[in-house]
Amino acid sequence: MFQVIGGRSVQVTRLLAPRRAVLVEAVRGRKSRTDPVAKSKEGRIKVPPPVDPREMVVLKERFAEYQLITRALRLEFKEEVLRKKYEEETGSLAEERARQEAEEHCALMAFNNQENLRMLEVRTLRVQKEKEEAERKQVEASVQREQQQQEFIKEKEKDILKLQEDAKNFITLENLDRRIEDALDNPKNYNFAIDKEGRVVKQTMLQ
Amino acid sequence: MPRYELALILKAMQRPETSAALRRTVETLMERGAVVRDLENLGERLLPYKITKHNQRHNRGAYFLVDFYGAPSILTGLLDHLHRDVDVVRPTVLKKDDQVSSTNCCGQQQ
Repeated sequence: MFQVIGGRSVQVTRLLAPRRAVLVEAVRGRKSRTDPVAKSKEGRIKVPPPVDPREMVVLKERFAEYQLITRALRLEFKEEVLRKKYEEETGSLAEERARQEAEEHCALMAFNNQENLRMLEVRTLRVQKEKEEAERKQVEASVQREQQQQEFIKEKEKDILKLQEDAKNFITLENLDRRIEDALDNPKNYNFAIDKEGRVVKQTMLQ
Repeated sequence: MPRYELALILKAMQRPETSAALRRTVETLMERGAVVRDLENLGERLLPYKITKHNQRHNRGAYFLVDFYGAPSILTGLLDHLHRDVDVVRPTVLKKDDQVSSTNCCGQQQ
C-alpha cells in the first residue's frame, strides 16, 4: 500500500504538494496563560487594523486576477514537468531504448556463453596435460628412488664383503701371542713433517 | 657395533712383562664381548709430561693402539678395569669415525 518514493518522484511530490502549510507554530511569548495582564496594557481592547472599503474592493479584484494568473501558470508548469517525466518513462523513445538494451543484453549473454565454452575446452586440455605431467613425474620419481635403493644395497654389500675380508686379519686367541710379538717387533711411527710447498717427510726420529 | 680405539700407555717394562700386560688387556676385551681388529705399537717414548699413577712416577711409556669393535655398554667397565691395572699408565678409549670422503676437502688451491 505504501510505496517507497525515491529519486525524481520525490521532487515531483514536493512540486505537487500545496504551498500553504504554515511552517511556524503559534508561540505564546514570555508570559503563560495564568500570568496577570501588565499595568500598561490594562484597558486595552484589541482592534483590527482600519480598512478602506473601496480600496479593499479594488485590491481584492486585482489580487484575485493576479492569483488566478499565477495559479494557472504554476499548474501549467507542473503539468509540463509531469508530462515530460511520463514521456521519458513510457514514451516511444523509451520503448526503443528499452528494446535496444534488451538486444544488447542478449548479444552479450550469448558472447559470454561462447567464451565460457571456449575457456572450458582450453581448461580441460590444460588440466589433462597437467595430470599427465604429474603422472610422468611420479613415475620418474619412483624409478629414481628404486635406483637409489639399488645403489644403496650395492654399497652395503660391498662394505660387507670388505669387512669379511678384513675379518680374516682380526686377532683371536690363537693369533694373540704371535700378534703381540709382531707388534712389539714392528713399532709404527705416524709422525711426519710438511712444509709450505707441500713436501711431506715421513722419516723422523723415534725417541 | 661401533668401532673404538684404545690408546694405551703402558709402563716402560721389559719385553715379557709388556707382552703379558698386552695379553691381559686383549683377553679382558674379548671376555667383555669385543672383537679385536688390530694391535699397533707406537714405540717406547718419552711421555710429554711426568705422570704419576699407582704411586709411581713415570717418565717413559710404551704406546699401543688397539682397534676393536664393541658394544658401548662395556666401555665404563673396561675403563674401570684398566685404571685399576698397575702396569697401565693411561688408558683412553676413542670412537673411530667412518672415513670422510676426501672429495669435499678444500685443501691448497692453486
